[in-house]
Amino acid sequence: MSQQSISRAARTTSVLFLVFILSGFAQTASAQVVELNINRPQFQRIPIAIPDFKYMSPEQTQLAREMSDVLSNDLNFSGVFRPLDPKGFLENPQAVGLEASEIKFQDWSKQGADFLVRCSYQVQGNAIRLDGRLLDVAGRKLVGGKSYTGDLRVWRQMVHAFADDIMMMVTGERGVFDTKIAYVQTVGGAKEIFYCDFDGSNPVQVTRDNSIALSPSWSPDQSQIAYVSYRDGKPKVYGLNVSNNSSYLISGFPGLNITPAWRPGKNELAVTLTKDGGQDIYLVSPAGQVLQKLGVGSGSSISVSPDWSPDGKKFAYVSNEAGNPQIYIFDVTTGQKKRLTFSGKYNTSPAWSPKGDMIAYAAGDGGEFNIHIIKLDGSEDHSLTSGGRNEGPCWSPDGRMIAYSSTKQGGPAIRIMYSNGTGDWQLTRQGGAQELPDWSPRKNRQ
Amino acid sequence: MKNKHGVFLVLMIFTLIAAMSACSKKNVPPPPGYGGPEQFGQGASSGPGMDDAKWRELGINSEAEKREFLDRAKAFENQDVYFDYDSYTLTDPAKKVLDEKIAFLKRFPKVQVTVEGHCDERGTTEYNLALGERRAHAAEQYIASSGLSNLKLTTVSYGKERPIATGHDEASFAKNRRAHFVLNY
Repeated sequence: MSQQSISRAARTTSVLFLVFILSGFAQTASAQVVELNINRPQFQRIPIAIPDFKYMSPEQTQLAREMSDVLSNDLNFSGVFRPLDPKGFLENPQAVGLEASEIKFQDWSKQGADFLVRCSYQVQGNAIRLDGRLLDVAGRKLVGGKSYTGDLRVWRQMVHAFADDIMMMVTGERGVFDTKIAYVQTVGGAKEIFYCDFDGSNPVQVTRDNSIALSPSWSPDQSQIAYVSYRDGKPKVYGLNVSNNSSYLISGFPGLNITPAWRPGKNELAVTLTKDGGQDIYLVSPAGQVLQKLGVGSGSSISVSPDWSPDGKKFAYVSNEAGNPQIYIFDVTTGQKKRLTFSGKYNTSPAWSPKGDMIAYAAGDGGEFNIHIIKLDGSEDHSLTSGGRNEGPCWSPDGRMIAYSSTKQGGPAIRIMYSNGTGDWQLTRQGGAQELPDWSPRKNRQ
Repeated sequence: MKNKHGVFLVLMIFTLIAAMSACSKKNVPPPPGYGGPEQFGQGASSGPGMDDAKWRELGINSEAEKREFLDRAKAFENQDVYFDYDSYTLTDPAKKVLDEKIAFLKRFPKVQVTVEGHCDERGTTEYNLALGERRAHAAEQYIASSGLSNLKLTTVSYGKERPIATGHDEASFAKNRRAHFVLNY
């Protein structure tokens, strides 16, 4: 790519960037390189070497290390890879070759690497071009390569994108490195909606209602967040346009307007309303038009917290029609409902897994709350947490992780664990209390 | 007389609140999050500024009636209706408290009332919003079934967002599982 075309691309894509397959490379993005069952607890992470990126022009040379650090953090976060400590690398990273023919595969093999990531970048004015390559050390060959061009300011997103592409090349599925996690944060005596990057960086406050804001829910295209706010005195459902922070009323009927959940594949939401007396779950448009009353409630029972199946045909929700809160599944197409949880007396906050096969929920037992997962047929119900209050689970879009709020280390904070029960770390570190996380879908890109 | 000072103070607060809400009506947020026990249910501290015309609208025509109203309004707002854990069934003591609310509403049928539903901190946030609504609704239905007509009752659930007691023991939990009445006159 010529210098001129790089800077033109940068101008036209100030926030976005362009991605293309490195010329001359046989791209096998959909081919699964290794057999993985990363959901098993005994899964061994794949050792991967990520030397500093190679700078092709003497500008922004500090990015060589910063970019390799971001990539390393991403791949470590994924739970699939184990980045090797660069201190053990034998070669000066700027001297490591770029092409497979120049790579000393035997050396990398000796250092314990199954894969090697070799990246180079070129800065021209405000534009940057990043070339990323993934190499199979044992097979002594290139797995795939991608190029990214755009504004220098979005170098971090470019590295995240390459991390996503590495995940695709190795596991057959993109990572979650362009996702965000929305949550409720206390601000003084109020509760506001925030979101941060998947790794906890860049927390942003998106509401300033100075009231009680709850239950953020991302739209399937990551452009909107629906949430509940008392800013008008009563709980109503609002939408928030993430690109400009403008909010709009979605549902403001008399009584309750709570627990919004965008429906996958359709421009509509499930919400709990009491406008007709009893509590029920309704389908509403983002403009607040009632599309359907679903009739899940009966008499004076509670019906709350819908969470959609990935195909948008069913949702899990909480009902107390059996005398205490339990998880139910409602099929919107057939109108049938089915009770899912039978053990314990307080099961709430269902979250349907992105693969469609599991429901995570919060199970109360005495003073404790723990995150459970259960299969859709009600089998293999088990707890993933212990100690303290662990609530409000949500899945990462690849189903590998669960974010939840926990009092494990003091005040409620958002934590993340792998859905196979391994790993567990605190995501939010800004003090105050955080709760009700919702993990965004991935962004669509080529 | 102590009572007179109390009335004067309450009226002062009315005037202040009225002045504040007149200045920035559009931007007045509802009281944020948890405001402390003194913020809720401590006497008749809501409502716009009251002049004689407005008192007459409530059917109150004399100083004596006004005093009676303010006295009884305090009890009306301070006495909560309590519930068992994860329940919105009205117990006998709860019904007794509601009967007193009904008596007040029979005497002053023109007041506007908000019934707030609250929960203790033990349940989960969203379920408690739903549970609080059921509690407020149960109290409202009981009053509505007493035969009073033209009631101006609305309900709002705060779930566990606004506890009146901040302890983490059963005594605090019990105080927080309540329907709370607020007069907007």
